[in-house]
Amino acid sequence: MNPSPAENVYLPKVAVLDRVVDEIAEVKTFYWRFEDPAEQAAFKKFRPGQFAQVSLFGAGEFPASLPPSPTEEKTFFTVRTVGSCTAALHQLKPGDRFAVRGPYGNGFPMEDYYGKNLVFVAGGIGLIPLRSCIIYALAHREKYKRIQIFLGAKTPRDLMYRDNLREWAQSAGVECHLTVDRAAEGWTGNVGVVGSLFKKPGVQVAVEDTVAFVCGPPIMFRFVIKDLKALGFQDKNIVSTLERYMKCGVGKCGHCCIGVAYVCVDGPVFTYEQIQKLGEDI
Amino acid sequence: MKARVLDSADVLKIVDLLREQGCEVFAPFGGHGRDTCYDKVTDQNRGQIQIHLPNPYYPPKRFIFPHIERLMKVQRSGGGIQIEPTYREPKRAIFGIRSCDVAGLWHLDRFFMGRDFRDIYYEKRRKNMFLVNVVCTDPARDIGEECFCVCADTGPAAREHFDLQLMDLGDGEFMAVAGTPAGEALFSAPFFRKGTDADVARRRAILGEVRKSFKPSTTSWFSAAIRHVSAGRIQEKTWEEIGKRCLECGGCTYVCPACTCFTVSDRQVGPDEVERVRIWDACALGGFTRMAGGHNPRKAVHDRRNRRFFRKLSHYFIQRELSMACVGCGRCAAVCHGDIGMPSVVEMIRRETAEVDKHEPVAR
Repeated sequence: MNPSPAENVYLPKVAVLDRVVDEIAEVKTFYWRFEDPAEQAAFKKFRPGQFAQVSLFGAGEFPASLPPSPTEEKTFFTVRTVGSCTAALHQLKPGDRFAVRGPYGNGFPMEDYYGKNLVFVAGGIGLIPLRSCIIYALAHREKYKRIQIFLGAKTPRDLMYRDNLREWAQSAGVECHLTVDRAAEGWTGNVGVVGSLFKKPGVQVAVEDTVAFVCGPPIMFRFVIKDLKALGFQDKNIVSTLERYMKCGVGKCGHCCIGVAYVCVDGPVFTYEQIQKLGEDI
Repeated sequence: MKARVLDSADVLKIVDLLREQGCEVFAPFGGHGRDTCYDKVTDQNRGQIQIHLPNPYYPPKRFIFPHIERLMKVQRSGGGIQIEPTYREPKRAIFGIRSCDVAGLWHLDRFFMGRDFRDIYYEKRRKNMFLVNVVCTDPARDIGEECFCVCADTGPAAREHFDLQLMDLGDGEFMAVAGTPAGEALFSAPFFRKGTDADVARRRAILGEVRKSFKPSTTSWFSAAIRHVSAGRIQEKTWEEIGKRCLECGGCTYVCPACTCFTVSDRQVGPDEVERVRIWDACALGGFTRMAGGHNPRKAVHDRRNRRFFRKLSHYFIQRELSMACVGCGRCAAVCHGDIGMPSVVEMIRRETAEVDKHEPVAR
C-alpha cells in the first residue's frame, strides 16, 4: 500500500457568483471566481476545450465547458438549463455561493496548430467550447494563418456572445460568417444550415494545412462533417468535443467511457478519426 | 515459503487475534441452503463462522468500496458554504475471503490507486484492511457450478495480494501462508507450528486434485474470448442475441467483485445541510449514459452488454489497469435471469466463432 497522503479529487472548492448575463433563451453566462485566490490562480492554467465540474449542492454536479480563454481575465460558464443541476445554477443570484472543481480533460492542442489555418464551425450553443479557442487564437494571432468562423443558429435571436460576434465581424484578422435556419425581420444575413456558408459566393474555405473545429448538435455535426469531407478535409484534421453523462470527471465513475476512451480524461477533444474508431454515436 | 501449520480447531483463533488487535472482522456465515453472507463477527456469532460454504453472492468488496458511501458534508450558513470531506478508515479484516474476491480487490486497487491516481476514500479504507484468504478445497461446498477461477487464473489458491492464506489440508490441519509482514506477525501466536516439506507436498497434491473438480465448462475458452473481444471480431448479431436476454436489472454488476462504476448523488439531511454520497452504478441500466435533456448515446440494450464485456475482457483495459475486471467467481452467471453471465457469453462467442470459421475460406 502506498502510504503517501492523497489529495481528494472529488472535493470541489467554493466559488462566488459575480454577475449573470442573459445570452439567449434558456442560456445564461455566469461570471464567477473561487473564494480562495490561490484556487483561482491554479484554475486559470486551463486550456481551451477543457471543462469543469460545477456543484449545486442539493441538486448535484454537472460538467460544463469553459467558454473563456485562459488569456482572458474573467472565469465564467455559459449554461443552458436542461436538467436539475443547470436549473439550480440558473436560480442563483450574484453573491451566491456554489462550488467548482477542475479543469478536466485534454483540451485542444492549440500549440500543435501553430502555423496552420483554423476553421471554426459552430451550431447553436456549440459555440461555447469553441469561443475559448477563438479568443485564444486571436490572442496569439501571429501564430496562425487564416482564421475563419462559420456560425449557425436557429434564428437571429439565438445568436449568442453578441459582443464577440460584433468584434469578430469587424476584426481584420478573422473572417466571420453567420447564418440562421429561419430569418426574422431585420435579418439581412444568410439563411440556411451552417454548411451552406461554405458554398456562398466570396467564401473560400481553407482546406490545405487547416484544422477544422466542429461543435454543435449531433444532426448538425453529421452534415458539417459531410460538407467538410466534400471540401477535401481529412478526418484527422477535423476536431470536436464529445459530450457525455459524467459524474467524476477523473476517469473513474465509468459513465462517459466509450470504447477504449474515457471522455473526461482522454477527451473531450477528439479528432473525427478518433471518434469513428470509438464506435459510438456523437 | 513463510508457511505454518495449525490444527483445524485453532483456525478461528486467528479471528480472535485480529479482534484483539482492534479489527472489525467480517467473515462468512451460512444461512439456509445456498444462502450465505459476510457479516461482522461478534462474541455471539463467532462460533458459527464457516470455512467451507458457497461463496456469498454479495461480494466482500463493499467493506472497502461501500455500496453507498458518504463523500462530504456541506453546510450553508450566513451566505457561505462549508464543505467538509467525510473519511472513514476503520481497522478491518475480512476472514475467509476467497481467491477470486482477492483478485477482485486487487483489480479495485489497480483501478482506484494505480498509476498516478489516488481515490482517497478507497485508499483510506484499503490501507487498514487485513485479508485472510481461504483456499477453496471442498468441491461439494466451496466450488459452485459456475466457478471458473481456474480459467481466469485467480484461484483456487491466490498467489498474492492477501495478508494470510489458509488452506484446509484435511486430517484436522490447516496450512497458513503469510503474504505480508502483517500476516507473518500473526505466526508468533503459539498455535502455529513450522510446516514441513511433507506439508508443502500435501498442499500441492490437494491443489492438483481441487483443480480437477471444476466443471469442465466452456470458460476454458475464456482466453480465446478475450482475444476475439479485443480484436473487435464479435459480430453485432451476437451482441444483439445477448442484449435480447438482458432484463437490465443490473444484478451482474451488483454481485461483481471487480465492477467499479459509481454515481454520485446529493441528499438533503437538514434544512441547511446536504451530504454527497456515491452509490454503485451499473452499465446495464438504461439511464447509465442518459444526459440531462434526454439524449442517450447508448440506447440499445445490446450496446450496453457489449460495453460490459468489452470493459471486462478487452486486452486494452487489461493493459490499462494491469489486471482484469473478471475474476472467474461465476456470481453473474448464478444471478442472471437471462443466463448471460460470463460463462454463457463466452460460450456464445465460441459458438459464433465456430460458425464464422466454417464459412471463411482457408488461405492456401
